[in-house]
Parts: sequence; C-alpha cells; structure tokens
Amino acid sequence: MNRLMALMRREYWENKGAFRTTPIVISGLIFVAMLMFLITFSHFDNEFQSLKELLRFIAQQDVGLRSHFLYESTLEMSVIFSMVLAFVVFFYLLGSLYDDRKDRSILFWKSLPASDTLTLVSKLLSAMIVAPVIFWIVYVLTHIVVTLLFSIAVMALGENPWTLFLGLYNPFEAWSIVLASYMAQSIWALPLYGWLMLVSSFAPRIPLLFAILPPVIIGILQLWFDFLKTFTLNDNLFGLYGRWYANSPLIMSADAHEERNFGAALGIPLSSDYDHQVTISNMLDRIFSMDMLIGFVIFAAFFAAALWLRRRATES
Amino acid sequence: MNNVIEAKGLTKRYKSTIAVDHIDLEIPAGRIVGLIGPNGAGKTSALKAILGLATYNGHLRVMGMDPSKDRAALMEEVCFIADVAVLPRWIRVWQLIDLTEKIHPRFSREKCMKYLASTKIKPDNKVKQLSKGMVAQLHLAIVMSIDAKLLVLDEPTLGLDILFRKQFYTNLLNDYFDEERTILITTHQVEEIEHILSDLIFIQDGRIVLNSSMEEVQQGYAELMTSGDKADAARALGPVNERQLFGRHIFLFKNIAREQLKALGEVRTPSVADLFVATMKGDQA
Repeated sequence: MNRLMALMRREYWENKGAFRTTPIVISGLIFVAMLMFLITFSHFDNEFQSLKELLRFIAQQDVGLRSHFLYESTLEMSVIFSMVLAFVVFFYLLGSLYDDRKDRSILFWKSLPASDTLTLVSKLLSAMIVAPVIFWIVYVLTHIVVTLLFSIAVMALGENPWTLFLGLYNPFEAWSIVLASYMAQSIWALPLYGWLMLVSSFAPRIPLLFAILPPVIIGILQLWFDFLKTFTLNDNLFGLYGRWYANSPLIMSADAHEERNFGAALGIPLSSDYDHQVTISNMLDRIFSMDMLIGFVIFAAFFAAALWLRRRATES
Repeated sequence: MNNVIEAKGLTKRYKSTIAVDHIDLEIPAGRIVGLIGPNGAGKTSALKAILGLATYNGHLRVMGMDPSKDRAALMEEVCFIADVAVLPRWIRVWQLIDLTEKIHPRFSREKCMKYLASTKIKPDNKVKQLSKGMVAQLHLAIVMSIDAKLLVLDEPTLGLDILFRKQFYTNLLNDYFDEERTILITTHQVEEIEHILSDLIFIQDGRIVLNSSMEEVQQGYAELMTSGDKADAARALGPVNERQLFGRHIFLFKNIAREQLKALGEVRTPSVADLFVATMKGDQA
C-alpha cells in the first residue's frame, strides 16, 4: 500500500503540469471571462442600470425555479472542467508507459522493488482518481470564488445576495454529484483507458497515431463492408463509439428529454438506452449494466496485454 | 546459499541471433567480478537476464530467486546501474530520495544525504539540470545507500571524465564494498577497474572464454618481452599470443614457469587489457 501511494505520488510529480496547473488555468479563464462580462456590461450600460433591473427581475421569480436554476448552473460550470479533464487523462495515459521507455529511465524504475503490476495500477488509479479529484477540487474552489464575487457585485448593486440566491440552495449536493459523475466516468471509460495503456506500452513512436488509426481504419472498413452488403450505415464501430459517448455518466449539458429548455444531463441524450437525468442512481445504472460488463472484459484484455508488454519492455 | 548468481545453460536468443549461448556461471558472495567482452558479445543480454529485465532459457538463480518471475522481490536484494544518465529527467533530487525511501525497504536516507553532501548536488535540483557526471554521482549515492547483496554495474562510467571515473570507483571500494557483498561490473575501460577486481570473466560471441580469479590470472599468465634473436625459442614454448612493439617481441604465455621464461628476457604479469586482446584474438584464429 505504501509502495502504491509512493508510485502514485511519483505520477503526480511527473504530471503536475497536467493534473494541477491545467485546472487552475481553466479557473483563471473563468475569472477573466467574468471580468470581461462586467467590463462589457459597464461599457454599454451606464451605472449597471439594466443589470440592476435584471437582478430585480430575478428576485421576482419563483423561489423553486431560482434554486433549480442555481443547482443546474453549478453542475454546468463543471462541464468545462470535465472536458479538459478528458483530454488530460487521454494524453496522460497515452504517455504513461511510453515516456520512460523513450528516455530509458524505465531502467531506473525497474531497478526499484515495485512490480510491473503495481506500477500499472498506480498509473491507472492516477488517471481514474488523482486527476479527476484534483480537477474537482479546483472546480469547487472556483465555484466558491465565483459565487463570492457575484455576491459582492450584487451587494454593490444594492441587492441582498442571500435572499436573491445564496440562501436558496445547498451547493454541496451539486458538488458531490459532480464528483460522483467523475468517478462513474472513470469506470465507464475503462475500455478506453485500457486501450490507451496498451498503445502506450507498445508504440515505438507517436503513440497518438497508434491509438487513433486502428479504430478509425477498422471503423471505416466496417462501414464500407456494411454499405456494400446492406446499403445501410447502422451497426458499426463508429456507432459504438458514439453510443458509448452519448451514454457516458459525465454531466454534459444538453438536455433534450425534459420540457425545460435549459438543463444538465448525463452524457449527450442522443440515445434512450439510459435515463439521462442527473442522479446517482442513473449513474449506477450505467455501471451495473451489460454494456459495462462487456467494457470490463475489454478493459481486462487490454490491461493484461499492456502488463505483458511492460514486463518485456527492456528486451532488445 | 553460497552463490549469489548461479546459471546453467543460460541462453538468450533474439530472432535470428544467439546473444548468450549456454553459459554456466557461479559467482559466490564477496567478489568483485569484471564481465568483459567486445561489443555485442552478450554482456548486456546476460546482465538483463540476471536482473529480470529480459526473458531467457536455461537455469538461472540470483539470490536463490528466478529473476524472470520475481523481479520485484529480487530488487530488494539487488541494485543496478544499467547505464549512465537513466534517471528520469523531470524528477527533483529530493523527490527521487523520497520515492526510493518509500519503495525500497533497505534504503538509508542518512547515508544518501551524507554521500550527496560531498557533491555539488542540491536536493532541489532537477535531474535535467545536472551534468552527466553529477547524475552518475547521484545514482551511485542512491545505490550505495541501499543495503543490497548484489550490485550490478553496466558501463557505469561511460562518457564521464577521468576525475569522475576515479572518484566513482574509489567511493565504491571505500564506502560500499565488503566481504558479504558482490559487485558485477561490465565496462570497456578495463584498465580502470583491473586493480579492484577479484574475478575476471571474458565473454565472446555469447560464450565464456575465460573465468578465473585475478590470483589465478596473475599466477597462470606471464608476459615475456624479448629481442628478435630469442623469439624462436620463445615461440617453441607455445605462446598464447605474440605481438611486436618497437622491434621487440612480446609473448603471452599460459601456465609456463616464470623461471623458464626469465632466461629469454623480461617477464611481467600481463595487464587485463593485454590478456583480453590476446584471448579474443586467440579465439578468432
């Protein structure tokens, strides 16, 4: 256990830029956007007259509607973090078993009494837990600061932020459901993570190419064969990727099922395989599904192959 | 368990070539063994098998363990420096020490800090900021702070200047080696290690062509330097090798009494480098 923690710390040290600096930069961008919004507003709107009117209009709205809006906007603030997180994890895993082979420091790592299995597990857990949790912490802190700044702005405009929005909802619920969706996504994405680690463990160079080309080529061939056979474009690998993505337990704002025209949803509700409403039980539905079981099997095969290759990575 | 390394019929094949060809080897504890051979002789392949870094055929036990199966357990007893400058470049010195301490049960932070105190390396340095020599110093400091039974060094000083190389081996002998430890070294810079070796193994084309202690080498081999007129008499004794230098003939003899040779000219103990050249040549002929 100590060794695993030490190895995970190693991953964090090596990837501090991606794991820690990246979400902080997003946070900074959000603040800059807020500032630009205010400056733009003040430019066109002397003394914030229309902003004041807007606040008064909001204050007149139904309390339930307001608290719902606040809840959903808290969820939606996570979307930008989630999207960047996906990229960070993708490239982290792609380099995870490649970089030390390339600079030959694998010889040093292999001189330590940590098994290859433990090493791979530490890298997988860094992708599944460490990176998402850091992103989540920065997201929560950003949300707190944004809320504070907004409250100050509201106060400056002569309204009471508490009755207007602060007292209307409990942000912990939204925060924890975002964290839950990150963890669910880490499990849902396992087949992809396994594939990336496999590519990372064998690619002689440019792992990105090796990661993307085979699935794309197989998909295109499939499309072509299917088209020749049946003149349809249904069941193929691309459809599978699409379905996998659309059913992700990640919160991605695009709700088509509800009558509200604004709302957060799990995945992109293009399919009706799963309920897209943002609830823990809908996340669990995905995790305890036949789809996920197949995903586990695929992941296990990829992971085992990556481990086999890692054991032999110092040959030749 | 008397032998640190035990190999019978150790073989390593790559697609079409045999890198290590049925090697039998026994290395007891408390030795400093030089594994010496030309490029591509199979040294690194043999070491990789010993360190669990590559698969192999045949019987191999290191500290009583099977390296291909128990690499992680083996690495608690065995340390190696596979090459200069393979430490990860992004890491800071303190991180490296922290990590080794957490992962390696036999690592002593105090010792390591003591060794580092005598260098210019600072805990906050990144490895990529260090010179090649400093990286080697750092690696050696870490390895020497691990209480391991077997230390394997594969070309540990390649590309370092002479000052670093001398210091490297001095540290190794003075601060690390004792009769319970075994050190296995491969290098091309034979002259620099010959005075510290206790055993000598020559390897060529995947086979061991010489395996004896330095004492045996010193007793068994003699080098005769003689003038041209006595050369024929010397040749009659069956030298292993003959070369000419400044018009004088230099013969290398194996198991010929020195008294007998002294009549023909100047006799001395051959250097490992001379012995190496002679042995490799002899086998090629």
